[in-house]
Amino acid sequence: MQFAIALLVVLAIACSIGSFVTQGQSFNQYAAQYSERAAAFIIALGLDDAFHSWWFILINAFLCCNLLFCNVIRLPQILKRVKTDRDAGSVTEAAADISAPGVNDPNDFFEKMRHSKPAASVTSDEKDILYSPKNTAGSWGAWICHIGILLLILGFSLGQFLHQEYAVYGVPGDAKPIGDTGYVLQIDGFEVGLRDDDTVEQYTADITVYDVNHSDGGSSQSAEISVNNPAKLFGMKFYQNSTGWAARVSVTENGEPLQDKVLCAGEYLAVQDKPDLVIYFNAFYPDFYVEPGNAPVTLSGKLNNPGYLYSVYYQGNMLGMNVLMGSEPLTIDEYTVVFSEPQSYTVIQVKQDRFAWLAFIGGIVILAGLVLAFYVLPEKVWAVKETDWQWTVYGSCRKGGALFKERFEEAAEEFTRQRETEDQHGSAKT
Amino acid sequence: MDLLKLENTLFTIVMLLYFAAMILYFVFVAFKSEFALKLAEIIQTTGLVLHTAALVCRGIGAGRLPLTNQYEFATAFAWGLCLVSLIFVFRFKFPVLGAFASPVMFIIIGYAAMQSKEVKELMPALRSNWLGFHVSTAIIAYGAFGVSFVLGIIFLMRERMKSGAFLDQHIPSREKIDMISYRSVSLGLLFLSFTIITGAIWAERAWGSYWSWDPKETWSLVTWIVYAIYLHLRIRNGWKGRAAAIFAIAGFICVLFTYIGVNTFLPGVHSYA
Ligand code: HEM
Repeated sequence: MQFAIALLVVLAIACSIGSFVTQGQSFNQYAAQYSERAAAFIIALGLDDAFHSWWFILINAFLCCNLLFCNVIRLPQILKRVKTDRDAGSVTEAAADISAPGVNDPNDFFEKMRHSKPAASVTSDEKDILYSPKNTAGSWGAWICHIGILLLILGFSLGQFLHQEYAVYGVPGDAKPIGDTGYVLQIDGFEVGLRDDDTVEQYTADITVYDVNHSDGGSSQSAEISVNNPAKLFGMKFYQNSTGWAARVSVTENGEPLQDKVLCAGEYLAVQDKPDLVIYFNAFYPDFYVEPGNAPVTLSGKLNNPGYLYSVYYQGNMLGMNVLMGSEPLTIDEYTVVFSEPQSYTVIQVKQDRFAWLAFIGGIVILAGLVLAFYVLPEKVWAVKETDWQWTVYGSCRKGGALFKERFEEAAEEFTRQRETEDQHGSAKT
Repeated sequence: MDLLKLENTLFTIVMLLYFAAMILYFVFVAFKSEFALKLAEIIQTTGLVLHTAALVCRGIGAGRLPLTNQYEFATAFAWGLCLVSLIFVFRFKFPVLGAFASPVMFIIIGYAAMQSKEVKELMPALRSNWLGFHVSTAIIAYGAFGVSFVLGIIFLMRERMKSGAFLDQHIPSREKIDMISYRSVSLGLLFLSFTIITGAIWAERAWGSYWSWDPKETWSLVTWIVYAIYLHLRIRNGWKGRAAAIFAIAGFICVLFTYIGVNTFLPGVHSYA
């Protein structure tokens, strides 16, 4: 167990390092934040992705092996302990933490200790004994907790290596493939529920998933998803993940409609006749406001004063960047570009983690183990017959320590008090 | 009736009561006044009742569980510490525990008083029943770890104090303090496990991933491991008594870092909390 403790210490240190170093940055970002040498050190040791680094995995692998090994070794020991704990023949005076001599009614004592009344038995040295073990199942607590940890780490690791994750974004009406799964996600509707004070109450998307590989040409399943309410369709889980702005971009050439497409902010459109000419939709501000010298901001989420930030590229070179207010047109030679119909697009996260349940079971098993280890403390109380009317009561509780002894002493004292009053009453009667 | 105003008033009264209890406990320890002890216990219990009422008022007034921002969590943390310490005081007949817990409670509720009390509408990710389970189990866990911290301090002080009638009457043996501390760490670890698991379930529903090594998650795991180390050292190396007391104090510093330090120093999805 010494090695296990060392491993736990190392794991705690590794985790805290991973939390102090911002994860997933580039060399340059670290160099800017710390120094070039520190950045080189961080990258060389994999501290930029600490929780997936070889050394982190190694620590966990050692931990699992150690835990497994320890649990295998301890299994027969615990079985034996639970068995002997239940066996009256196994108790010895030396095993007692505490004792109370001169007890005339041991059953009463058991009751005071909240132990069930035991059946009579004999010790190995042929003395009459009343033996009452309690909570023997508690011996399994640590073992079960460790099994839970193993299941949790196993479920989590398998999930890390084998899960599949995709992000699909779009506006209502869009239908896009979900990676290479052979399924298509169609966004039927998307609503941003605003409260009176303009804060967002909920993002809700209606989705339909089509199985395009299906023999009959495509079966489908639909669901409504919102933040905190994902849905499971075709074995994959769909989460309403985030949102952004989209707008319709219409291009006309000498007044004739040429092209019309809904673009999400961050997307671009290459002009049909002239693919070298690209309109990039940088950002959208529903309630545009800019203070001279500052970057533009939006005053609210409402469409009070829509502003579209765009940039134009020709053959890869930026020609310019500006903001179009409302339906203001942008003219580039014979082309006119107009942004309209601002709307929210949704980002839907699609995930398939076939092992999350294992980690979940691990968590439940850990809880069960902890309850057993901490709240089902095995304890034994037994009474050995000394003379015809006198017994000595013994008690032991491995994890009870001073608290068990105190409870035992209280029972013994109460017992003595009770007996004294009974004696007084008895002598008064006679 | 404006429940939020009532909550505000109750909060101020509770703070004053905790302060009064702290002073009375001090009088009890310094002047060995049994009367001050009785009064302190009554005042602390009254404080807990009014504190509960304040939390209920805020919950009803805000139309949701009052456990979603730094102010609400801080006041609930003080409440949790008060509750767990009172349970331990009565369960183990250990009034001095209340005496030592009261300054910690007062500091935490003082920290709450410094936070913004504004009732904000919840962002969608926070609108989940799992959040309720997650935070309420955290309160009990933190309360229990707070109690083990206080017991650690009492243990170390008991070591230095000369035995005397007053001491022996009011402060249990070191062996017993150590056992009570072990019980409170066990309670804390069990509830911290609940906190982490319910938090993971909530994160899965809200963010699509049940564990993403966010600094707050990571630090709750570090705290969990630290207390697991405490348990193993007790068993393997017989680290009881003084070593365990020091460990319990250090463990609580970890708890406080998870609670305040992470929000202050490290970025992450929990930083709105
Ligand atoms: C490599 C890793 C580990 C090893 C080899 C290990 C080994 C052990 C051993 C030998 C015991 C004594 C059992 C007994 O007396 O019945 C124990 C107890 C325990 N272990 Fe572990 N352990 C490990 C990790 C953990 C972790 C990460 C936890 C998390 C909480 C944990 C929780 C417990 C608990 C709750 C107990 C019972 C403590 C008590 O009743 O006071 N163990 N462990």
